[in-house]
Amino acid sequence: MGATAVSVGAMGDKAFGQAKKPIPTTPIKIAAVSFLTGEAAAPFGIPGYNTFAMCADAINKEGGILGRKIELLSKDENGGVDAQVKLARKLALEDKVDVILGYISSASCQAILPLADEMGELIIAYDCGSSELMEEKTSPYKVPKFKLGFRSKAHLGIDNIGLALVIKKYFPKIKSIAGINPDYAWGRESWQVFEVAMKKLMPQVQVVKTLWPPLGNTDFTAHVSALMGAKPDIVHSSLWGGDAVTYTKQAMGMGFFKNIKMAYSRGEPYPQEVGKDFPEEQIICCAGTHYFLYTPKDKASADLQKWFVAEYHKRYGKYPTYPCYHAYQAIYAYKYAVEKAAKTAGGWPTVDEISNALVGITFPTPSGPLTIREDHNAIEDVLVGFTKLTPKYPFPILDPKRLEVYPASQVNPPVGIKTVDWINSWK
Amino acid sequence: MWVIYTLNGLYFAALLFLTSLGLNIILGVMGILNLAHGSLYAIGAFMAAWTIIQIVAKAPPFVLYLSLLSGLVLAGIVGFLMEKSLIRAMYKRTLEYQLLLTFGALLLLEDVIKMIWGGQAYYASAPFELMGNVDILGHVYPTYFLFVMLITLLAGLFVWFFMGRTKLGIMLRAISLDREMATGLGLDIGRLSTFAFVLGSGLAGLAGALVVPTTPALLGIGMEPLILAFIVVVVGGLGSLKGALVGALLVGFTRSFGIALLPEIELPLLFLIAGIILVVKPQGLFGR
Repeated sequence: MGATAVSVGAMGDKAFGQAKKPIPTTPIKIAAVSFLTGEAAAPFGIPGYNTFAMCADAINKEGGILGRKIELLSKDENGGVDAQVKLARKLALEDKVDVILGYISSASCQAILPLADEMGELIIAYDCGSSELMEEKTSPYKVPKFKLGFRSKAHLGIDNIGLALVIKKYFPKIKSIAGINPDYAWGRESWQVFEVAMKKLMPQVQVVKTLWPPLGNTDFTAHVSALMGAKPDIVHSSLWGGDAVTYTKQAMGMGFFKNIKMAYSRGEPYPQEVGKDFPEEQIICCAGTHYFLYTPKDKASADLQKWFVAEYHKRYGKYPTYPCYHAYQAIYAYKYAVEKAAKTAGGWPTVDEISNALVGITFPTPSGPLTIREDHNAIEDVLVGFTKLTPKYPFPILDPKRLEVYPASQVNPPVGIKTVDWINSWK
Repeated sequence: MWVIYTLNGLYFAALLFLTSLGLNIILGVMGILNLAHGSLYAIGAFMAAWTIIQIVAKAPPFVLYLSLLSGLVLAGIVGFLMEKSLIRAMYKRTLEYQLLLTFGALLLLEDVIKMIWGGQAYYASAPFELMGNVDILGHVYPTYFLFVMLITLLAGLFVWFFMGRTKLGIMLRAISLDREMATGLGLDIGRLSTFAFVLGSGLAGLAGALVVPTTPALLGIGMEPLILAFIVVVVGGLGSLKGALVGALLVGFTRSFGIALLPEIELPLLFLIAGIILVVKPQGLFGR
């Protein structure tokens, strides 16, 4: 295979591209960092961890990447940003892992991705959503921000633009909205994008309340009644994990859902978590098209989805949620990039070659084809739906008749333009 | 909506009152500032959540409500062991030693919780859901919150009666007023201190147990209540039962109405009020 690869290798590094590099026989060391303890473990960290393990097994069963087996090092993201910086340095410099796939918290990503170039380590962020992670302060900006830092998923722009588009389509007559978002970068950015998009799409709609509970809040009663008192038609929220569940249950107990609708920017895991009592007719976004009942249009992705859902349910007794799909995207982005780079490198590629190969790569995933752009950020379609109880599942699913899918081009800003600036430029 | 804002304020105040009551008894009687109080709250929360999850499928509702007491019991036991082993040596030391030691206990207990229950979230909302809601002046309100207020009221009345009317309570108060004189009169300070610490710990555990049907038990669940309980104790006055009640109501209402009316400055508002009270009355509202 090496010989044919060299002949195609016109794009490789000038001097070294021609030399045939051996493929090591040792396993590839992949570090997978996600929350294994703490609030984010159950809804995100563990599903991500499970999927990394499941995909590594699947890849190894098919012979590994270029014949090398994957050795997965699963690490805990809990313990704060400083601990994560230390861990990343240890993984890169001491354990000498080939790539770090990881991070759920936007705070972790913002601290770790800048280390990639400094350490000469390939780092692929798999789940964090901050839109500002890969953007600069003003547009247009130069890309990429980090040479060896990537994110194999779209940022929070798609969720919040998707919600605004669905609200415009289904509820054109609403008069007021409100927001309840966690009080840090993730919540603030989510609300900002949603608010700007709503102003652009439905300028007549008033914002009647914005609440910022701290992360890990245990008592939402004051927030629920403050929102009810403001009487909005729809409330936007990027609450996640235990917060989303606690908020929803307390709101249910206080009769919140009688007159008000929720629009959850990342609500996809919670109907399964809360169970059959989760209110119907709520607007739920899936952080992409990551939904176990969604069938992608292309055959390759659709086949993968069938395998993915069945295999995950068989192994872990649950349906995969969006962090599972994100984990799939990260580990397979690495696999395909190595294989693509090897064709030109003629052997095991260097980190720089893998980084070059990741740019512009498109590959099928269980939720549809994924593309990583030259800003080192992936773009995805986005799916928004409405909860509905059916006899088949013990929790409300997204009503199959009203699954709204917006193509990546409609919900992702162009390369080099800040999300908010792009929305403001909409005609 | 005002009636609901008021009820929310009362509910939040109730939980805070329970937490700060225990902190206050320990501080008043023993002169110990227990930073690990929040961990005892967390132990109560985890224990109750775990118990509920074990029995939820088979037990009738009233057993579920009763099982919340498991949090009180375990926190009491842990408090007993803590007093006998660590706190005992601190009575004659200065405040810095207490802070170091109880902060160490906080870290230790956090790890013990992690060792026993792991890093997972424990969802145990059955008691909350089983009680359903009531109609209050046209507003839907969860019955469970009223239940929490009732339990807190009973606990508060119990402590008030106990401290004011029973011999044991009067002895505890004597110690808090003048430790040396109490010793001189022949009171068994060691045993009484253990008792006060167990009582305070149990109340923290009960508060943790009561909160767990409304929110999952998670590592670090005791941190926020600890900080707020400190505000309550400082504002109300060290060692004062009345102060704990007024302080808790103040914090509860500031939060409830702050979020409804001035959401952006709700938290700073709380600290601002606490600051003003301390400047005007450094010993707290009801401090001696």
